[in-house]
Order: sequence, then C-alpha cells, then structure tokens
Amino acid sequence: MVAVPQTKDTVRDIEQYKYGFVTDIETERAPKGLNEDIIRFISAKKEEPAWMLEWRLKAYRHWLTLADEEPTWAKLHYPKIDYQDSYYYAAPKQQAKYESLDQVDPKLLETYKKLGIPLLEQQMLAGVAVDAVFDSVSVATTYKKKLQELGVIFSPISQAVKTHPELVQKYLGSVVPYSDNFYATLNCAVFTDGSFVYIPKGLRCPMELSTYFRINEKNTGQFERTLIIADEGSYVSYLEGCTAPQRDENQLHAAVVELVALDNSEIKYSTVQNWYPGDENGKGGIYNFVTKRAACRGKNSKVMWTQVETGSAITWKYPSCILQGEGSSGEFYSVAITNNHQQADTGTKMIHIGKNTRSKIISKGISAGKSSNTYRGLVRMQGKADKARNYTQCDSLLIGDKCSANTVPYIESRNPTAQTEHEATTSKISEDQLFYCLQRGMTQEEAVSLIVNGFCKEVLQTLPMEFAVEAQKLVAISLEGSVG
Amino acid sequence: MAASLISAHPFGDAYAAKAGTLSAGARIDALRKVARTEIGRGLPGPKNEEWRFTPLNALSRVGFIPAAAADDVDVTVVPSDVPRFERAIRVVLVNGTFQPDLSDKISGIDIRPLSDSDAALGQTATANLPLVALNTAFFANGLAISAKGHQPLAVHIVSIGASGAEPVAFHPRVLVTTAPGAELTLIESHVGLPGQPYFANPVTEILIAEDARVHRYVTVTEDCDAFHIATTGVTVAARGCFAAFHLGLGGSRGEGTVRQEIHARVEGEGAQVHLNGAYAIGGGVHHDFTTVIDHVAGGALSKQMFKGVLDGKSHGVYQGRVRVAENAQQTDARQLHRALFLTAGPSVDVKPELEIAADDVQCAHGATTGSLDPDHLFFLAARGLDPETARMLLVEGFLADALEQIGDAHVREVFGRQVAGWLQRRGGAS
Repeated sequence: MVAVPQTKDTVRDIEQYKYGFVTDIETERAPKGLNEDIIRFISAKKEEPAWMLEWRLKAYRHWLTLADEEPTWAKLHYPKIDYQDSYYYAAPKQQAKYESLDQVDPKLLETYKKLGIPLLEQQMLAGVAVDAVFDSVSVATTYKKKLQELGVIFSPISQAVKTHPELVQKYLGSVVPYSDNFYATLNCAVFTDGSFVYIPKGLRCPMELSTYFRINEKNTGQFERTLIIADEGSYVSYLEGCTAPQRDENQLHAAVVELVALDNSEIKYSTVQNWYPGDENGKGGIYNFVTKRAACRGKNSKVMWTQVETGSAITWKYPSCILQGEGSSGEFYSVAITNNHQQADTGTKMIHIGKNTRSKIISKGISAGKSSNTYRGLVRMQGKADKARNYTQCDSLLIGDKCSANTVPYIESRNPTAQTEHEATTSKISEDQLFYCLQRGMTQEEAVSLIVNGFCKEVLQTLPMEFAVEAQKLVAISLEGSVG
Repeated sequence: MAASLISAHPFGDAYAAKAGTLSAGARIDALRKVARTEIGRGLPGPKNEEWRFTPLNALSRVGFIPAAAADDVDVTVVPSDVPRFERAIRVVLVNGTFQPDLSDKISGIDIRPLSDSDAALGQTATANLPLVALNTAFFANGLAISAKGHQPLAVHIVSIGASGAEPVAFHPRVLVTTAPGAELTLIESHVGLPGQPYFANPVTEILIAEDARVHRYVTVTEDCDAFHIATTGVTVAARGCFAAFHLGLGGSRGEGTVRQEIHARVEGEGAQVHLNGAYAIGGGVHHDFTTVIDHVAGGALSKQMFKGVLDGKSHGVYQGRVRVAENAQQTDARQLHRALFLTAGPSVDVKPELEIAADDVQCAHGATTGSLDPDHLFFLAARGLDPETARMLLVEGFLADALEQIGDAHVREVFGRQVAGWLQRRGGAS
C-alpha cells in the first residue's frame, strides 16, 4: 500500500496519542468522551488479546451508524444523553470515601439497619475503608478454591478473556450480538468488566454464585458484561446486585448479560436492583439500560429470570429467553416498584422456536408517587414451535392518583398447536384491606408493606431464601412515604 | 420519523386532480387543507407502531383512481347475499355514493347529505389519524344522520364496492349525531363485487349525547381482493351508551385486507361502551381489529370481547388500547381477545394495552390463542359425531359466545346465519 499523505497523518496522530497514553494509564480515568482511542485504551488497560479489541472496535463502528436508532419506543422521558460527556473508563480501584461509619449519611445507615445488613457489609457498601484482613475475604477464598476443584470457572470476564479465551470467544456475543441494539452495541465497545461463569457437564453448582462474593465485588463500572454458560446437565443459581442502596456516581448504566443453557441444564438468575433512584423531585438517579438474554439451546434446558427492580431513575430492561431446544423452558418473575419520579419500562421476551417449549411470565408492577411503570413483553410462537405453551400474568398496583401503570404485551402466534394465555389486571390497595390491618394495630406503613408483599409473593418466593428476606424489607422501604 | 411513512402512494396530486373540485364550504375546505398536508407526508409504513401488523405497502403500490372518475362501474342491484333486516330503512351506497334507486324511501328519520353546516364533522375522527386524513381530503359526499328521541326504525347502510377496468378508491363519510336521550340503531353491511381490487376508506363519526344510546352492528364481508380500512370515532357523554358489534368474514373468494379501527372517548360520568366483535377468515385474508378507548371521565364502563377463527393462510390482528386518565376514577374497563386456529398456516398478532393513570379503577385484559381441544373433539366423536361436524360444532360454539353480545335478537340471528354460511363454505372447501 502506498503511503498517501492521509495515512501518514493518521500514523502521526496515533504516535502522538501513544505518547499521551502512557500518562493516561498512570491516571485513574481515561479522558472524557468516546472514540476509538478510548476503546483501545480500555482494551490495553485490560491487557486484552487482539481479537477482543477487534470485536470492540467492530461494535463501536457499528454504534456510530446507530445515531438515529437510540430507542424511543419505551414510555420513558429523559433528556437526550450526550455520550461524549461521560467517562468510559475509571480505574476499578475503589477509594475509601470515609474514615468511619460515623461520617456516612445517617439516612443511608437507617436504611441499612432496616434491611438488616451486617455492620461490615454496611462499611463496604457505603465506601468506608475496611481493614484488609476481614472474615469475608478468607471465606471467599475458601469457596473459590472449592469451586475450582469442581471445575467451575467463576471469574471477572476480563480475566476469563485471558484464561479461557476459547470459551469466551465461542460464546461472547452469541446471544446478544454486537449489532443487537443501541445500548448493547455501546456495551460491546466499552464494557469494563463483569462476571464469567462456566459450569461443567453434569455439575450442580453447590452454592449460590455471588452471594458470598457480593461484598468483595469491586465496582464493575457502568458497562457491565456477564456471560454464564451451563454445560449439559448442569445447574447454577446466580445472584446479581444487592438489596442495599449502593454508592454509585455513574449516571448511565448499559449492561449486557448473556446466558447459554445447553442440554438439560438450568440457570437461575436473580437480580435485586436498588440503585439511586433520584431524589423526591426526580433530580439525579441512575439511567439503567440493560440487555439481558438467555439462549436455551439445549434440549430440556431451563432458564429462570427473577428480578426485583426498585432503584434507578430510568429502567429499560427486558430479560428474555430464546427457547430453541426442544422442551426448553423460560420463566420470568418480576417485581418492579416505582416511586416519586421513577420511570420503569420493563418486561420480557419469550421467543418459542423449538417444539414443546414453554414459558411463564409473572410480572408485578407497583407504582406510587408520580412514577410511571410499564410492563412491555413479547411472546412469539414461531412456525415450528409445535405444542409450545405460554402463560402470562401481569398485575399492576397503583398507590396514589399521580402515578401510572401501563401494560403493553405483544402476542404473535404462527403455530396452531401453540397455546398462549395472557391476563392482566390493575387495582389499588383496597380501603378494606388497610382498615383490617390498621384495626389490628399495624401502622399505615406496615400495612402497606404487608399488602404489597402479599401482592408480590409469587415473585419473591422464587428468590433464594436470604435474598428473599431482604427483598421483602426492600419492598417496604421503597414505598416509604407513598401512603398517607 | 421518516422511515415510518410510505411517501410514494397513489393519493398525490394526480389523484386529487382526478377527484375534481370537492369544495363544500369554508369549514370542510379548511379541514381538507389540513388533511391534504397530512397525506402529503405519507401513509403509515411497517415501522409505524400503530400499523406494524397491517402495513400499507401493498395498498400503496396499487394505482387507484377516485371512484368518481371511473365511468365504467354500473351496479344496478344489491347483491343477493346482503341480508334484509326487519324494521330497518335500507340506504345503499355504491363506491361511497348514495343510490336513491337502490335504497328504501327515507322517512321517519333525519338522513341528509353531509354539508358544511354540520359543525360536528371532524370532531371525533381527526386528521392525526392518517386514514381519516385521507378520507377527509377526498370524501366526495357523505351522510348526516341525526336522531331525536327513540328511533323505531334502524338505519341499514349497505356499502357496495366495485371497480371497473381500473382499481378505484372511495372514502365514504357518515356523521351520526344524537339529541340527549335519543336511541338509534345503525346497521352496516360492507360488501364488494369481484373484479379489480378497490379501496374502501370509510370514516364514521358518532356523537352520543347525554343519556343517548347508539347500537351499531357492522358486517364486513367483502370477499374479494379489496382493501377495507374503516375508522370510527365515537364520543359518549354522561350516561350515554355505545354498543357495537363488528363481524368480519372472508377468505373463500379473495385475499382482502380489512382493518376495522374504532376510537371511543368516554367523556361523561356513567357512560358505557360495549365494543365486541368476531371474525372468521381463511384464504389469504388479513383482518385487523384496532380499538382505542379513552376514559377521560370517571365512573364509566367499557367492555370489549373479540373472538377470531383463522383458517388457510389468513392473518388476524387485535390491537386494543384502554387509556384511563388521571381523573377517570372508578373506571371499569375489560378487554378480551381469543383466537382459534383451524389449520397450520394462519398467524395472529395480539397487543392488548392498558395505560392507567388513576388508582381507583378496575382494569383487566385477557388474550388467548390456540387450537381446538382434542379432548372436546374426542368427547363429541365418542358420541358419534364425525370429526368435521364435531369441529364445526365447536367452532360455532366458540363464536356464539361472542355473538351473544349482540343485544338485538333479530340482528343476532341474521349475523348467526352469516357465520353459519361461512362455516358451511369452509366445510365445502376442505
């Protein structure tokens, strides 16, 4: 190739940047904005192989063509996001913000107390400097060792790229391709970290993954990427998030989660999301644009999504299942609570491709304050999905007359032997129920909490036990101040 | 968004020139002007959310001419399969134009040509709906029906579509107004004659005053390669009642595209909307029911039940949206759609939506799709019925449930016969 003046300029630019790079690597943050150099920077920081960088760049170049395709169909209102006005890489090193818990906002501590979170965890969550030799670390190490013995790979994805490139290369982007949607494409280009899980054939993972590690988790950043592969006949339960409100200054979150379930395997994925929802006047709060999808590739494979969404100012999230394997099944259980000025547009997609596939959707939306809560779901029975079945139930509960609840289900059937059933209801907490509780000496808030927990019971029951207990308390806390 | 519009469509300047001067007075002209601008922007395409299941690409590719410009259409008799209803005045339209020779003598009810003095025109069906804009831009003449007190005779509008050598388009417009406490029954039969495709784009506006009641029974049986995209706009004042039943049948002769879109605005306390329907389609027919019910006043009721039977390679669509405004407390809104597949081949798309902004309400919707239950078939077979008879019996039973929503016993019987006819034709075909 002849070196035309343009090429020479480009080379010179790169060299100049290279120089700048060295200094940048030493700093905590990459410069503001998004361009190919930032992506190269992230990749270099993570010491990634060339194929990974290529993939990121391919995604980024595609993302540039999507400028007009930022989703606008959801019932969400927010000012246009300036993607050049953010940092895409901050060193994962968490700096302690406070010396001791005494300096932490008492309101936050009050919430922790209500959730029953141990003191040590409180310190971690609030960002207090914690002594390096504390119990949980050794506990975590013990469990990690045990998992390794069993052949389970559970590591940050950035590490898996290096240690198990064949698995990552095979599965990364195989469920959510780089061209999937605006936010997922952005994530492919700039993801900083996340979890990688591989469960070997025939293994029933003996512990809930991430329960014991959650307090050790570093701030994985705003562009999290998770990949879970359950090999034939295996089982895993994965927990994401935390019931406690987390200190997080990133406003935009665009995560991608990919699940791959092979023959006869089962993945249970539970999320509790309680990021900063903004203040009572709707100021601030996290924008959460998440793409979560599971491919039930194997025969009789099963994926179960459970989510309790109480935080974030904006939630845009549709954990989905592609039911490809014969007899595979997908389940989606969701509780979405919005209060004050929060907006949630969340639901699921169940794409039935294989024969005898089944899916179940239970969605409970609770709106209070001036919030807006939308269930949006798709059930598609493709031509070959003989005898496929779906059951969907979406219930909405409204607390107050300034909020709204919307239900937007899509049902597309191309197979006569497939059956779909959908039902949705909207109601409020009845005066009778409240009166009954108050009469028995409960406070208004306790009564609402009891009734709402009853309303969500079907979903909360699917959570692992210790998580369920915390989630119940969280439901009550999220609705504080919404009644009376 | 530009991508959601089809800008190349047959209703541009050349069509307008052929339609001739449609001036009918300052008010209508002003409405037309707004509508023309809307049409100039394009027709809804597949990326338009409201039209994603019924994109108008195929329609846009046909070189329609205005029906008034076709001089080779001559319809002298009403097709024999159009039923006669008791206690009803028959009003016949051919390609949207009133035919006094084919109609009954109009007496005892106020039916007039639509004029500029009809101030209610364009109030309930507005140009923000693209097909209403198309109708408003080009309707040649229309009917205004006003009801006072209890009208003992029903109005039966028979709308016949027919093309000559070239495909025609027509845009019938009907305006129904009621005085407080009035009661009116409106029956509509939309039929078509075989031949070139045509495009019927009727728009009906119904204003229901306080304590007034309007019963509307519609059949669309245009069993030919036609496009029938009908829009109805209804407003219901306090304690008023709108009870409608829509029946769509087709598939034995052609591959038509039908969309029956109904917008009802519940404006007064204690108002009621009963919107029900059924469709039985085969062949390559596309049938779409789209309903939007807006509750803007409290204490009102809306009930919807739609049932569909699909055969051949047909495509059924139900999109229903119920909106409950912040102040529409104590609204009771129900919505149900059920689809039954008779063979492998048809497809159905359903989207029942709820948008609720008031807390003290009861809203629910349900939707199911599936085929006949083998247990039911076995039950009947065990009692000596041959499989085909058993199937027809079950399908009839499935639809009968919807037909029961028809308040008028005579209309129910006539509609029942039409459904039975469809089933027989279907039985003969298989």
